Amino acid sequence: MNLRHIHLLLTLHVCFSNAATSESYEETLQLTPLPDGKVSARFAFKTLASTNIEENQDSDDRPQHYKLFPLALGQLLRAQSISELHLSLNAGKWDYDKWGYPIDQSVASGAELWVWMSESSSNGTSVDQRWKDLSNGLAGLFCASLGALDETRTTKPQWAFGPEGDLLSSRSYHLRHAFLPSESVCTENLTPFLKLLPCKGKSGLSSLLNPHPLFGSNWHGIGVHVRPLAHESMELTMTFGAVLDPVRLSRGKRDWNFDDIFGRPIGRACPVASRSLIKVVLPAHAAYQIAPEPTTVDKDGATYDLTMLSFPLTIGMSWPQEERFQHSIASPSNPLSARRIITGGSQSRGDILFHFINNQNVSQDVVCVETAPWFVNYFLNTRRVVVNGIDREDIILETAYTLPRNHQPSLLETVLRLPAHSVTEMSMSFLKSFIAYTQHPPDAERGWDLPAAAISFTLTDSHPQEPARRLYTRNLLIDLPTPDFSMPYNVIIMSSTVIALFFGSVFNLLTRRFVWVKTRATDIVRD
Amino acid sequence: MGLPKPILRLLLVASVLSAYFAYDFCSEYQASQNDYATKASVESFFSARKHANQGHTNNWAVLVCASRYWFNYRHMANALGMYRTVKRLGIPDSNIILMLADDAACNSRNKFAGSVYANKGRGLDLYGENIEVDYRGYEVTVENFIRVLTGMGFARVWGRVADSMPRSKRLLSDDRSNIFIYMTGHGGNEFLKFQDNEEISAFDLADAIEQMWQKKRYNEIFFMIDTCQANTMYSKLYSPNILATGSSKLAESSYSHENDDDIGVAVIDSYTHHVLSYLESVNKTSKATMQDLFSTYSYEKIRSHAGVRSDLFNRPLDQTLITDFFGGVAQVEVLYEQDTEQQSPGESASLEEVPAPSLPTQPPAVLASERPQRMPGFKDRPVSDQQSTNSTLNTVKAARKREDSGLLHAFKLWGSSLLVGLLLFWTLSR
Repeated sequence: MNLRHIHLLLTLHVCFSNAATSESYEETLQLTPLPDGKVSARFAFKTLASTNIEENQDSDDRPQHYKLFPLALGQLLRAQSISELHLSLNAGKWDYDKWGYPIDQSVASGAELWVWMSESSSNGTSVDQRWKDLSNGLAGLFCASLGALDETRTTKPQWAFGPEGDLLSSRSYHLRHAFLPSESVCTENLTPFLKLLPCKGKSGLSSLLNPHPLFGSNWHGIGVHVRPLAHESMELTMTFGAVLDPVRLSRGKRDWNFDDIFGRPIGRACPVASRSLIKVVLPAHAAYQIAPEPTTVDKDGATYDLTMLSFPLTIGMSWPQEERFQHSIASPSNPLSARRIITGGSQSRGDILFHFINNQNVSQDVVCVETAPWFVNYFLNTRRVVVNGIDREDIILETAYTLPRNHQPSLLETVLRLPAHSVTEMSMSFLKSFIAYTQHPPDAERGWDLPAAAISFTLTDSHPQEPARRLYTRNLLIDLPTPDFSMPYNVIIMSSTVIALFFGSVFNLLTRRFVWVKTRATDIVRD
Repeated sequence: MGLPKPILRLLLVASVLSAYFAYDFCSEYQASQNDYATKASVESFFSARKHANQGHTNNWAVLVCASRYWFNYRHMANALGMYRTVKRLGIPDSNIILMLADDAACNSRNKFAGSVYANKGRGLDLYGENIEVDYRGYEVTVENFIRVLTGMGFARVWGRVADSMPRSKRLLSDDRSNIFIYMTGHGGNEFLKFQDNEEISAFDLADAIEQMWQKKRYNEIFFMIDTCQANTMYSKLYSPNILATGSSKLAESSYSHENDDDIGVAVIDSYTHHVLSYLESVNKTSKATMQDLFSTYSYEKIRSHAGVRSDLFNRPLDQTLITDFFGGVAQVEVLYEQDTEQQSPGESASLEEVPAPSLPTQPPAVLASERPQRMPGFKDRPVSDQQSTNSTLNTVKAARKREDSGLLHAFKLWGSSLLVGLLLFWTLSR
């Protein structure tokens, strides 16, 4: 009787423990030929784990048995009690006018990290301390200098960057956001990225991530997104996006295949992936050829299921009738586009200028989130909004401005209602402070990178469950007045010389005595 | 019959008890003697570091490229060349701290994205597909370098106990680690420039390494530096067990080796190119020594007077293998089946039953000749030391057994005292 009970308990335990750590992994690659001859490739590696770290933060001793979810990332999230995490490392400029809206929103150049974390944690540390520990931990995990995301770069936006996962309504959560615009992305960021994947870049779609062609592309970006889902589960999406240029590589033709753009075919499928798909968006005009035959073709494009194909696999698209690719001037128009520039050539002040273009038939509410370091001071009273040439202050619905204090950055959030079919210009003056010479970066003459402005909006025809879209402007360089860094040396040398000369002269004057020296008579005659 | 009955009984009890106590006292005395022997062996084990070199058990490498900007491409190629060599010879990424002050591979000026080459004609890509850079860009500062070496935490002064610096950025070495420190950049008389903004002086470096010695963070250090007037940088070192080499002497510049026309800048420095091309002939099992490397230095090839400083190093250079510093060679001791039943000689007869140890502390003599050359410390230890270690082990075990029966001992003590008291009372009451 006892043995049967034990057997039953063990079976139940095994069942429950299996159910408690069920994970699934799927990978997708979406290839989109763009109108200007380039190809946008976007890899998405999605792992769904059914243990919600955020939910179990009170029971810290629960073991983390992961098979597919990366343990290094899971331990970091558990230790800092992070609910939602979005990290992106991008290089290049995403051209919205030519390439449309990207699938992954965070395309700002440099590093961007924003997290939602709950007020209370398992070990009682504050939100800011956990933010600092998280950025240091991610810096070690991804070989990026994210330790620089300290209080001089961290902001708390209130109207944008809303949670994209299902956070508990019974808890209060805090948002922390930081940009690092000067961060470079290279193979050392890709190496740990691949090591976190279940197939580790050896099989499946991750084997296509060859650093040499990818880091030579026009735009590339790494993304790590963790969000909690309902019913105690957590979704990790690791993305890699690149915009490759077959016209430049082949010097004229826009035909592409895996050997051209990735440098290698797919050797074999990833055995632990529940789904491994390649989606190719088919161009509107029918003059192309695609090889091999896709598994399914629908309105979204052609889909290849790796479980039904033979390996090594190379997918390619060609335009046989085209001799050379002809670039066209016309570009697709987006519903909304934005630009930001700095005007003014003075070293002490400048003007920042936003351009919003609303191509829709309806007015559009946007939130413009802008952060600036503490030594760039905006003058809100100089803000002017001009719509199609007419001054219109009334389209500013709300403004939230966080003053720069204690070397923390300033945060300006503006809610604007852009009229239909309009070009809106918003301009503002700013003053550049003179900062201490130790606070300049080592290459001070280059200037200071101003992080991208995020423009958050929701299109009227979008799905209600969809999160808000974000547009990013370019990073800008602010030319700060730099001191002459050799001045401390000069001052020391000059003052030391002066003091030595002065002291020496005075000492000689006071203490030197001139005496007659007797010499022999014969010496005088000789002289 | 001569003595009255009670006194006889008392005498009997007293003799039994005294016999018991004598036995107890004797064994305690023996135990205290063994304790003394234990203490002496333990003391000699920990102080052996000062007297005999026990050899290293793990390898670390700290590779620093201290200059930024595209025209210092060759310094980054220097550091990456060393990184590749050290990885090839066996040191894993977790034991390498690579500091690159600028990004050369994915620099927008680099025509060959994701690649760094060290020779004209771009034969070998040093960046590859598997690289981990621990400190990059603005993080390469004098402060961070000294913190890495001395292991000082990065906790805020007013903050938490645990610091949040990740493990991959820390030098987690111990007193059996051999560390290879390589620095390259622009330098001068007793200084090295970091990022064209600040300098580290030879005195700072010497003090940092002395801190490492005091904190027992290294067994031996091999310091290599490739800058102008490099030999002055190691002239101020004063800690033991350091071997240092530099590319040029006082008032002499180090030169670059060659340019690549498509990259457009110099791609490697002359001294580092010479060392790397020598190390190409070394693999993990090589028995090449440091003396072999230093003998290849010549002014004609390197175009500067490369120097060596070995007065702080207490091993002869012709017995110091290159893989002692450049490689991560693991030393494996193979134990055969018959050793587990063999009783180690010199075991003192302990008073209590001690079970035979499952692992012998002394490997059988048949393996002595096959023992690898790389652990001179182990070979140099005299045999009596090993025997005393054996007896130490057994007496430690015996002492532990004694400690385990402390409760029984106390019971015996109190019980016998009680018995004596009762008997006395009974005798006297009669």
